[in-house]
This record gives sequence, structure tokens and C-alpha cells, in this order.
Amino acid sequence: MCCTFTEEKAGAAMKKKIILLLTVCICLTACSSKEKKVPLEDIGMVGVMAIDYIDEDLFRLTMTIPQFSEDAKENNESFTVETDLLSKGIIEIESLSDKKVVLNQLQVILINEEFARLGQTEEIIRFLYRNSEIGNKVLIAVVKESGEKILSAKYPDKPNINFYLNDLLGPSINTAFNPNTNIHDFMYTQTNPVFDSILPYLTKKEDEIELSGIALYKAKSMIKVLTPQEGLIIQSLQNRKNLMPLYLTLNENNGEEKLLLDLLNSRVNMKSNKDLSSPKLTIHLKLEGTLVEYKGVKEGQLNTNKDISKLQNEINQKLESDILNFMEELKELQVDPVGLTENFRMYYNGDWSHKKTIDVISKLELDITVETIIFSTGTLK
Amino acid sequence: MKKLGNLVRTKIRASCKETEQKESKDSNTQEKNNINNLQTEQTINEIKKNLARVNDFLFKKVVTEEGIVTVMYSNSLVEKMIMQVMVFIPLTNHANQIHQVAEEINPLDMKDVILKITSGQTLLYFHDKNVLLFIDTYSPPTRSITSSETESTVIGSQDSFTESMEANLSLIRRRIRNPMLKNENFVIGSETNTNISIVYMDTIVNNDYLDELRTRIERVDYPAFTDISLLKQLIEDNPLSPFPQYYMTVRPDTISDYLTDGRIVVLMDNSQAALVCPVTFFEMFVSVEDYYNRWTTASLLRMLRFFGFFLTITITPAYVSALTFHPEILPYELLVNLQESRSKVPFPPIFEVLFIELIIEVLREAGSRMPAKVGQTIGIVGGIVIGTAAVEAGLISNILVVLVATSALLSFLPPIFLMSNTSRFVRYIFIISAGMYGLYGQMLAFAWLIAHLLSLKSLGTPFMTPIIPRKATDLFDSVIRFPTAFLKRKMGISKSQKK
Amino acid sequence: MSGKKSPVLNRFHVIFLTQNIMFGTGILSLPQKLSSLGYSQALFPLLFGVIACLTLWPIIWINSKYENDNLFRINEKLLGKWLGKSINLLIVAVYIIFLSSVINNYTTLIQTSALPEQSMVVPLIMLLLVLVYIVNGGITSIARFCMMTFFLIFPTIFFLRWAIEKGEVTHLFPLFNFNGKEALEAMKKGYLSMLGYELIMFYYPYIANKKKAFKYTTIGIWITVLLYFITVLVSVMYFSKWQLENVEYSVLHLLKAGELPFIERIDIFVITLWVLAILATASAYLWTAKKGLESLRNKKKSSHVYILTLVVLLFEWMPLNPGFQEKFYEINYNIYYGILGWPIVLCVVHLLKKKRVRP
Repeated sequence: MCCTFTEEKAGAAMKKKIILLLTVCICLTACSSKEKKVPLEDIGMVGVMAIDYIDEDLFRLTMTIPQFSEDAKENNESFTVETDLLSKGIIEIESLSDKKVVLNQLQVILINEEFARLGQTEEIIRFLYRNSEIGNKVLIAVVKESGEKILSAKYPDKPNINFYLNDLLGPSINTAFNPNTNIHDFMYTQTNPVFDSILPYLTKKEDEIELSGIALYKAKSMIKVLTPQEGLIIQSLQNRKNLMPLYLTLNENNGEEKLLLDLLNSRVNMKSNKDLSSPKLTIHLKLEGTLVEYKGVKEGQLNTNKDISKLQNEINQKLESDILNFMEELKELQVDPVGLTENFRMYYNGDWSHKKTIDVISKLELDITVETIIFSTGTLK
Repeated sequence: MKKLGNLVRTKIRASCKETEQKESKDSNTQEKNNINNLQTEQTINEIKKNLARVNDFLFKKVVTEEGIVTVMYSNSLVEKMIMQVMVFIPLTNHANQIHQVAEEINPLDMKDVILKITSGQTLLYFHDKNVLLFIDTYSPPTRSITSSETESTVIGSQDSFTESMEANLSLIRRRIRNPMLKNENFVIGSETNTNISIVYMDTIVNNDYLDELRTRIERVDYPAFTDISLLKQLIEDNPLSPFPQYYMTVRPDTISDYLTDGRIVVLMDNSQAALVCPVTFFEMFVSVEDYYNRWTTASLLRMLRFFGFFLTITITPAYVSALTFHPEILPYELLVNLQESRSKVPFPPIFEVLFIELIIEVLREAGSRMPAKVGQTIGIVGGIVIGTAAVEAGLISNILVVLVATSALLSFLPPIFLMSNTSRFVRYIFIISAGMYGLYGQMLAFAWLIAHLLSLKSLGTPFMTPIIPRKATDLFDSVIRFPTAFLKRKMGISKSQKK
Repeated sequence: MSGKKSPVLNRFHVIFLTQNIMFGTGILSLPQKLSSLGYSQALFPLLFGVIACLTLWPIIWINSKYENDNLFRINEKLLGKWLGKSINLLIVAVYIIFLSSVINNYTTLIQTSALPEQSMVVPLIMLLLVLVYIVNGGITSIARFCMMTFFLIFPTIFFLRWAIEKGEVTHLFPLFNFNGKEALEAMKKGYLSMLGYELIMFYYPYIANKKKAFKYTTIGIWITVLLYFITVLVSVMYFSKWQLENVEYSVLHLLKAGELPFIERIDIFVITLWVLAILATASAYLWTAKKGLESLRNKKKSSHVYILTLVVLLFEWMPLNPGFQEKFYEINYNIYYGILGWPIVLCVVHLLKKKRVRP
């Protein structure tokens, strides 16, 4: 008997609470959806943001917002302002557009080469990293001349610029030299004393945009543009499994041969000698792929295993010398985009600083062995 | 000579005494009969007074060997053939043998007498002896056993319960031919005097549950029971909750399955459904066809039903919260599509969703009330025309129509109709909380739902029992069903007696 | 029927109750709190687990001597009425402030990431309403809620796989690359995320199998420690040292690395799912404070819960500047550490009393 009584009492109290809660809810639903929250169709979601250098204080901020009403002539709008603070620029752009500008769906950020060379990239990226609206998968790229020109130009054969840039900079097998740096990767490599950042480098051709190289950073500023081949070396040393097709020229002195290896899989093993005063790194790179096309002296003679292994050895030597040359260059510049010094930090007790990285890189000796395995040569022998 | 005279005198005296005795006996019986007759007349008059203006009840006087017998019966509850065969013919031919087949009741217990008449028994009042007997002739017209419209299966037996409790009991008893299948009768309802019966297997059931159920039924105080669902709401543990805590079904094979598992079944006269208690939340998503299908199909369908329940309460609120508060959740291309379709709609997403949900509710209710021939046309008109026209007119976006239709379909997955109604109600709570605070509101509502479900009890045992399975073998028959050879043990919730 | 029997907690209840009370907002910023150690913080959760088990032992010991009393009654019995009651009042106050700091943390997190432009007043009230609803169900309802929460939140561990793919295992070496000062700082800040297992002092009378209580609680502690260990390991692999120190809520960044075909930003979904873990933690503390208030006033009233909730609400709304509030919470944490060591004091007092009684 008593439990029904308490149940009734609890039921009555619960009833009052429910009624109160419901009235509160209904009132608030009406309030919240009208005034404070902007519904989806009035939001302008920025797809691409571009920053160009003007002078020491000012930079040009360009943003593109896709347009979806059927009355619009173009499929996206772009706005440009000149400002000194990024957030101020966003507010100024909002006054130009009829919609509320949000950065929730930001896909790509373009940085002008001048801006990058002057070392101001990190501040901008840090501001975006701090913002909780923006996800960490936003892709970053350095452009040759002006980001605004890229965004305001028309690409008649290409889709909407937002999708175009996103697809161009995203991971794809044929641009495997592209490091696909997003905000997180950039902040990671900037703040990690072991690394130096690399970003993809875009050039505007007439009707299209080309991913022409890799921008190499030393600490905060950009110093050089690397070729796609060198970018590929960096990617392979960073243990990226599927590489893009490799075009090689062998034996330039007597009887030039050209060949193309496709469907490459690579694996890297690194071992350091744990000594900071005379650092030495043993790298073993293993490549497996298909020989697609061959032009040269040995054509028609690549039938037996012996011939193929001879060709493999030549490829190995060529690759080893390429990599060593590249490493020499890096040693002179005293940068480490690959992160080789991580293998030494592992065995060092204490705090590792950027100076130590430079130290190690400039003294680094490399012992590289490349092992190429040609799986098949297509369906014909 | 003298001896002869004495003999004749004694004989005459003896015969005189005999006749005297006989006469006195006769007069005694006559007196007795007169007294009895008076008493019976009085009782009959009282019965007639109680049943005044009830033209259904007939009083017939039949002359038999044992004197006058008044036959009282209810014309609407007794079939005429039965009356002839069971009462009138034996009464007129072998009245003295009626005593052996009929039972006796006390004529002074007026309440019992009236109850018997109104329950369809035939009362035989022997005037000379003031003896009241009754024969059970209850035979109202009943529906024949057909297949169920609401709980039909593709394989398995197709018969379903009817409104007659005896027919239902017979359907159960022919499946469980065991003397340990007990049933206890009660009469409830102060106005309707409905019969109910608690059915259980004596060797398997837990006696604590049985006692608890009996106490609850005896405590019930309600005037009129038209269906067993009224009784259900009065003996449930948490009547304020939107979720049903007892299982209701019209299929005898489900009932016999639960009985052999050690649960208790309640049947009510004039009610098609039967109650099963105690049950768990997961069993609300179990259809008996799961046991007839193979285990792979059964597991797939069960998972579909179970996750369908959670999907149906999450899809439309997720639409509301993604569009109002968190557009970054959706992939870019999808968002672009959504923006395009929503650009024509003047309302905020929550009003759009509430609007179309209410339209679907109206369609559903109106469709269930309409006669079958008109209903189909209106269904097509309502569904297709209104939906398409609304999208064209720009009142709702087309993606939303797809989502709402899917979630409406998903809400019909649970085999129990009450549970699908509950999921509709719970969806509104989620929509409102999503409209207020997006995903945060939705998760808070989800936390409330979990806390509420965890606090429900079914006949004193926690409703969400398989969360902490009482036995490991319980898991064999929950979201995934193991092959039949593994399913021999009883479920933990029934707390069955160990053999 | 429900009000008559006293609640009974079986072993699953105890395991998951212990686990969920510890697992709250602490994990979201755990890598940042341990960041003074840099990369070698990966092994610290294991160390915390060991410390927790060591401090658990006197708790269970003193409870097993007074089987049917919770800590409030034990305090009164061992220390006399007035000293016991004042210690109880201190415990209740500490727990209430801790509860409000947990809820405060969570609402700030929601405000910065999921609902950027709303005021948090009404969401807070809604959270407190659901909290009161759970607490009114008693300790079994809280235990069952903890169990459901564990099974719902556990799958989010699988979202860490993208971070593991991108991370480098070499960050873990060298091991033990820290000095004593860094270790102490990390321990002081990081141990907060491990608090909560001592609440067994208050629900001990309800446990069914009291002899095995130590075993079950240890299992709960080590489940949490394992979860923490995995999270810290993955964040060490994924972040650079600077990021570990400066990024608040680094675990959310780990989740941002992932993507499913139909949901882009998993972290928003996971943050809102976290409300379940918060509710589990908060409801246990609120229940303990309610028990404390009952034992102080020697009365059982249903209004106790509402009074305590109002106090929590007041703490959120107090017009103090955030710096002062931070400091206030810091002092509270320090006193809380004292409560952890309190059972050792009680053990000593108990032994002394026994010795006095004997001769």
C-alpha cells in the first residue's frame, strides 16, 4: 500500500516537472530558432580562403562562397578585402555578402609565395588552428603569384573552384609527391623540432591550376621550391606506401635508356648509429613495381631474369645517387623535411631543440641501399 | 371363529393405520409442498423484481414428474438448440435424473443467483422441494478462429485468439498438453463482472511473481473492463511511462512459448489479446517468426528491428540539429544539396520537420478510421500528391520527405503495436530537444531515455535485464539469435524454479 | 515493491560504477595535464593505476570493519559526534564544489565547440534536471546508467585508429625521459582524472558480495587506466611536444583526424555523447552529497537533492571572474587529495580504539 502512495506522490511531482519542462521547452524553441540561430540557407560557407601579401601590415584576403540559387549566373562568389587581422577581414567580408560568413566547411587555404617567404604563414595557420569551428583536415598550399587571381579566374571545363582545389590537393595516386598537408600536419611540423614543413606549390596556367612542386620551409619561412621528383623522394622516405609512377633516365653517358615504373609499393627501414657527434643513418628502401614502358638499348632483350636483374641494379644505382644528391642539398640548406633526425632523438635523453636538429643534419652521413623489384612487364614478356 | 374375527380386526386396524399414516404423510408432504411452493414463489418474485424490464430473461414453468419446475435463463446468452437438448427434453422426460447432472446453489443468496443468470447459466427451480439447480448453458454466438490481421507471419500457425476465453484456453491447452498448466479464475470489474484467468506452468513459474500478480489483480478497483489493455494499465509498475511493460499478443504459439519459459499469462473474456508478464525491453522487438526462421535470417531481422527503433528516433532530429546548429557534420557535397533544396523553404528546419511529422500522423489516423474502400484512395492522395505538391510549392525540402518516410516505416518494425506508438511519441521529444540545442539536446534526451528505461520494472524485475544478463545463456537469444540447439535453457528474467 | 528492499549492487554494478565515476572530463585534457613530461607521459596512467590500487586498500579495509555503515557514520563513530559531523560537512562541501567544477568544465567545452553562440543557462538547467532524475532512482539506477554509458562510449575508442595511422611510434622513445620535478607536477595535475574510486566508501553497505569488493573495484580502476593509457599513447604518437602542452582538449583533436562516409566531424558527435559520462560521474557525487546531508540532519527528505542542485547552480552563476573561480577549484582539488588519504587516518584511529578497548 505504501509503495503505491509514494508512487503517486512521485508521480505527481514528476508530472509537475514534466509540465514545467515542456512549457519551458516550447517557449524556447520558438525563441531560439527565430532570432539567434541563422538557418542553413542564409549561411555562406566559405570553401577556399586565399591570403596575398601586400606590404608589412596589410594582406589581401579572398574568400569564395558557393552559390546555389538557380538565379545566380556563376556557381560561386568571391570576395576580396585588404586587412591586417584575419578576423577583421572576415567581418569586412560579411558586410559585402548578404549571408552570414562561417568557416565551418573551409576546405582549402592558399598562401601567397611572398607571404610564405616572409615567414608569416604560421601566424595565420595558428589562428585557424585555435578556432574550434574549423576542422583539422583543411588543406594548405602555397601559390606562385596571387591567390586572388586563381580564385577569381574562370575555369570553364572544371567544376566549382571549391571542389576543384579540394580534389587537386587531396590524396591521389598520380600526385603522390604531394604531402597533402592539412592544418594539423603543418602545426605539427612547425612545432616539432625534428621536422621542417613542406607544402604543395600551385602554379596557375591559362585555364587550369597545376601542382608544380613542393614548397620547402626552414623554420617559419619558405626557402625553396622542390621538383616533383624530389618531393617523391621525401614521400618515399617518409614511408608512404603507394607511390606515383616513376620516370627514370639511366645511363646518360652511353646509350640513354628511359623507362617508367608503375604501381609502385615502397617500404623503408631506417637505422641510426645513435651517435650525435658523428651521426650515420642506414636507410634501406625497397621498391616493387611494374615496368610499363622502356626505350633504349636493351629493348627486346629484357626477356630473362638475368637481364631484368641487371636492369634492376642499374635502377638501384641511379636512385641511390639521386637520393644522395638530394640529401647533400638538404645538408647544405640545413633543413630536414623528412624527419630523419627523429631516429636520433629516440636515443637521446633530455630536451631536443631545433638547434640539435640542424646540428645533426649538417653532419649526417647516409648509407642508402635501394632494392627495386620489377614484378612484371605487363601481359607480354 | 373368534380367531378369524381378531385377525380381520387387526388387519383392518393395520390398514386403517396405514391409510392414516399415508394420509398424514400425504398431508405432511402436501403441507411441505405448500410451504415450499410459497417460498419458491417468493424467491421467484424477488428474482423477477431484480430483473425487471430485462426482456431478455425468460421464465418458463414446466410440469414434470417432480412437480412444477421454473426454468430461468437468458435468451441472448443461450442458444435455442442447446436449451432444448440440455434442459427441456431431459426435464420433461427424466426430471429425477436432472439432480445428477446439475449443481445446486442456495436460493437465498440473491447476488449469486442473479450473477448466474446474467452469466448465461440456466436455473431450474423445483417448486415442491425448494431446490435451485443450475446447468451451464453459456453459448453466445462467437467469432470463428481466423488468422490475425495485426500479427501475421509467413510461416508458422496462423490461428489467433478470439473474444471467447474458453476458445482461447482451448487453443492454449491443445499446444501444452500438460496437467501442470494451471489456470485460476477471477471476476473483476464492479459493473461488468468480467472473467479473467491467470495461466501458468506450475513446475516452472516463480511463485513470488505469481503472488505479486494475484495481489495486484485483487487490488484493482475499476468499474468497466472492455479490453485487457485497461487491466494492463492498472496493474503495470509504471503507468506513467510511455513504454509498455507487459507484452500483449493475439497468437497462441507466442503464448505457449512464453508459458513454457516460466512467464505468467492473463486472459480476459471478450478480449482478443492476452497479457504476458514479466518481459524485458528486448522482447518487445522479438517476433515469434524469429524462432521459425533460420538463425541467420532471424539474427539479421532482429538486428534490423532493434536498430530500426533507435534510427527512427534519431534520423529526423539529426536532420534538425545538423541543419540548425552543426552544418560541419555533413560532408560538403551533401550539404550543398541540402542548401539547394532548402533555399526555397521559408520555415526554420524544426518547424518544417514538425509540420510534416504532424501531416503524417494525420494521414495515419485518418486512414485507420476510414472505410477500406475510401481509405486506399485517400492514402494515395495524401501520400503522393500532398508530398510532391508540398515540395514543389516550397513548403518542405525533398530530402526531408525521404527521411520522414523512412523513419515512419522504421517505426512500424517492432512487432508490438504499442511499442511502435511509443517510438512515435519519443521521436517528438527528440525533435523538440534537437530543435533547442542541436546534438547536445539530442544526447540529453537520449540520456533521459536511458535513465527512464533503466528505471522501469516489469512485475518487479528490471525492464532492461539483458544489459546485465542474469545468465550467460540469455545473450544467446537477444539481439542475435543462436541456432535452436543452443536455446534450451530458460531465460533469466522468469527466475524459474530449478527442476 | 521498489521502496521496500534496500538496493543491492552485484559485481557488474560495482565494476562499472567505479569505472564511470572516474571517467569524466578528465580524459579530454589528460595529455595536456601530463604535458610537463613531454613524450614520456605514456606510462604515467599505469603508475596512476598502481597508486590508486594502493590507496584503495585502506579504504576497503576500514569499510570491512564497519560493514553496514558508510563513511559518514564511520566518522561519527570513530571521532565522536561533533568532530565527525564537521568532517562530514567538509566532505559534502568538497564534493559539491567538485561536482560543480566538473559540470562547469563540460559546459565550457560545449560552449566553445558545439554550441558557439548560445548562452549556456538553459542547457545547464536541462542537464541538472536529468541529473536529478537519475539520482532519485537510487544507487542501483546510477550503477545501471554507468553500465549503459560504458557500452555506449567504449566504441569511440575505435575512432582513434586514424590518429594511430598518422602517428609515429618513435615518439615513445626514449622512455623515462623526465626528471623528478616534472614528474611531480604531472602527477599533481593528472591524478585529478583518477579521482572517484573512493566513493566506494559511501556505497559499500549496498554491495552484495562484500568480500570480493576489492577485486571488483580494482577491475574497474584498471579498465579506466587502460582507457587512459590507450588515449595518452595515441596522443603522444600523434602530437608534437608543443601541441601537447598548448592544445586544450587534445583528445578532441585526435578525433578530428577521423572521418566516416556520412559524418565529417566526429568530434562534435563524441563531445555531445560525453554528456552521458558526465552524468554518470555527477550523479554519483550528487548521491553521495545527498547521503551526507541526510546523515548530518539525521533525516531523510526528498528535498535534499533539490537543495544541493540549487547550490550547484549557484556556483555556476556566481559573478566571479574566471581567475578566482579557477583558484577556488584548485584549492578544492587539494583538499580532495586530503580526503583520499583520510581513510589511513581512520584506520589508525580504529586500531588505537581497539587497543584501548582490549586491555
